[in-house]
Amino acid sequence: MKLTKKAVVIAAAISLGLSLAACSGTRGETPPQSASNEATAATGGFEAGSTIGVSLPWLGTQNWKEAETQFATALTEAGYKPIVQAADNKVPQQQSQIEAMIESGAKVLVVAPIDGKQLGTVLEKAKDAGIKIIGYDRLLENTTAVDAVTQYGSIETGRVQGEALLAGLAERKGAGPYNIELFGGGPADPNAPNFFTGAMEVLQPKIDDGTLVVVSGQVEFTQVATAEWDNATAQKRMESLLAGNYQDKKIDGVLTPNDGIARAILTACEDAGQDIPVVDGLDAEDESVVSIWEGKQYATVAKPTPELIAQTMVLIQALQSGAELPPPTSTANNGKIDVPLYELTPVVITKANAKQAFADDPAKLELLK
Amino acid sequence: MKSIKEIFGGDLRQYTMVIVLIALIVGFHIASGGRMLTPSNFQNLLSGNAYVLILAIGMMMVIVIGHIDLSVGSVAGFCGMVVAICARDLGLPWWGAALVGLLLGVAVGAWHGFWLAKVGIPGFITTLAGMMIFRGGVIWISNSISIPAPDELRFFGSGSLPEWGPDTGLNNSTLLLGIIAIAAVAWLQLNGWNKAKRTGSQTPLWTVITRVVLLCAVIGYAAYLYGSGLVGTSFPVPGLILVVLVIVYHIVTERTAYGRHIYAVGGNKAAAALSGVNVPKTYFLTMVNMSFLAALAGVMFVGRATSAGPSDGVNWELDAIAAVFIGGAAVSGGIGTVVATMVGGLVMAVLNSGLMLLGVGSDKTQVIKGLVLLAAVAFDVYNKRQGKKSIIGHLFGNRESGKPESPDAASSSAVPGAKELPTQ
Repeated sequence: MKLTKKAVVIAAAISLGLSLAACSGTRGETPPQSASNEATAATGGFEAGSTIGVSLPWLGTQNWKEAETQFATALTEAGYKPIVQAADNKVPQQQSQIEAMIESGAKVLVVAPIDGKQLGTVLEKAKDAGIKIIGYDRLLENTTAVDAVTQYGSIETGRVQGEALLAGLAERKGAGPYNIELFGGGPADPNAPNFFTGAMEVLQPKIDDGTLVVVSGQVEFTQVATAEWDNATAQKRMESLLAGNYQDKKIDGVLTPNDGIARAILTACEDAGQDIPVVDGLDAEDESVVSIWEGKQYATVAKPTPELIAQTMVLIQALQSGAELPPPTSTANNGKIDVPLYELTPVVITKANAKQAFADDPAKLELLK
Repeated sequence: MKSIKEIFGGDLRQYTMVIVLIALIVGFHIASGGRMLTPSNFQNLLSGNAYVLILAIGMMMVIVIGHIDLSVGSVAGFCGMVVAICARDLGLPWWGAALVGLLLGVAVGAWHGFWLAKVGIPGFITTLAGMMIFRGGVIWISNSISIPAPDELRFFGSGSLPEWGPDTGLNNSTLLLGIIAIAAVAWLQLNGWNKAKRTGSQTPLWTVITRVVLLCAVIGYAAYLYGSGLVGTSFPVPGLILVVLVIVYHIVTERTAYGRHIYAVGGNKAAAALSGVNVPKTYFLTMVNMSFLAALAGVMFVGRATSAGPSDGVNWELDAIAAVFIGGAAVSGGIGTVVATMVGGLVMAVLNSGLMLLGVGSDKTQVIKGLVLLAAVAFDVYNKRQGKKSIIGHLFGNRESGKPESPDAASSSAVPGAKELPTQ
């Protein structure tokens, strides 16, 4: 009796499970939505007004905040439904956000990775769903799921930074030799080593011929990198460099990979009682534009966000209409495949050309007063 | 109304968070236009949060013994990085590298356990040190550069179970799991009822059957949801690992001597010691277990991310701690269960997923998650202090006395942080 009761219940439970299972039937070879994706992608494009996902690393620096608002505006104006999200510099958060964008039926994903190597699984999921993937500002590495990357040439950016540093030293510090220090960006960002490589292409010959002296002797990227691009980390490193190597020396210049780090280094030098060294930067952040105008920071390298977004929009429009992508400026191997790169050339901004460079940007012009 | 209580058994208060969880899922499903309850979203939900939930199991036990482990994120990141380096630079096969990572986790746990149990340094401080040591360690051994992980690990981090057998319209592996789960639940419930009857319990059979049917409906629906995704997808492998761990740790904490010891030590260390519990041993094992689970979470995350990064694991400890407290654990120790912790973790995961589906930014998501944590714990504390029933209790007119915990033990959790370090 006991056994039969038990058996009845188990049987009932199992049949319930099976009946639930049996009422499926929606499970095709591929889901209807992505099936149509792939079909249309093959024959050309996708519906105008589709959802476009934009995944940004964080909003902690001005260029990303600008990208967030400008992407939303540009995509809305072009008639798309934008989902623009930033991930607070946390890789798992970015992975989940991209998955949510896939869920939301995005046709194109624009991805600016926190760490270019850590999105493999989710990007392949997107690719399997027929979604096109555009890397924005940083290379997507270690995956086959990337269709194009738009960015400012990162080696070129580094070269421009190196040249700006040399020009600044000649302008402000008279004849050499100059005492300099080197800083790199966040190693997890695939651009950071490239910036450094580009800059060293310009600076290494001058170090070799004695025009530049790296007093601390730290010239390897792993020695000079600034984890997470963190300003406070850079400031601490500069303070200890000054305390350790510059008790009886003057520092003339510092290679700085971005504006935040440049300002941190200026602060560290002021605190140590040094004259302001020549520093360059990146991104033309408002605070640095003011600093340049006041004659402190020597230069910044601008990678104007509107131009990069315009470039990305060209690619999205081409994907939408189903046309071939325009020819890339170059390709880069990301560890798995050769990725087409669409690169723009950055602009150096110093006090001398600031007004002219920002002629079309009333918000920045406002700062130059 | 009394019958509803009989069906669910015990105190309805413990179901508050379950109901919150269901309400969140349904609410987000409606608000997002039907994008929440989809196979792929739920697959993502489990693969994307399995690592936090696994950490939360260990963290629950650490919190129950009255300590806290701040190092789990760093340990997870460190072990994940070691796995990637072993595979790439030492040429170990993927399983060898993963094994090294897990053993390293045990070793790290023994290190923490040594300082906590033998030297008597509070867990908060021991693991704060561990957090720095192992975060620095990750950056050191990796030169702050991400390192690709063996491809095979992806199976554990985001893989699916195989397809086989006849075309049932579902993933057959998932279907099989569902049937096993349903059979197990039915057997356990009826067995329990039989045992209880022999010891004189008056619970009628129909309440047990209703409970079994309800549980089976939930499991059946879950099996259907997970099984009906794209061909090639199933109940995710990290989810399966999690379920196995939940079952194992549920049994360990509820049915073994060690399990009783951690609650005894956390509830009243002196009394536990006097009644013969080996307190240092309990501390030691709990810390070893925590770091082992951290290593496992780290390896699974590396599998999902396809490479190990220098900032893997930052703030994971806080996510795990939040899950434990939303699950109703007490800051003073002695209270908390594996299943409630999982519900707490899932509340956070569903919130995160739902807000992302709605396109809410990470800034506002953080604010909302913070408020939910505070509200969940405040609600719990309020209930315990007032000796009142939860909203659910009121709804169902549950007139019986509350949980066995004394009001003192409960109200001490009203001041989070005040008693993080138990007196030595």
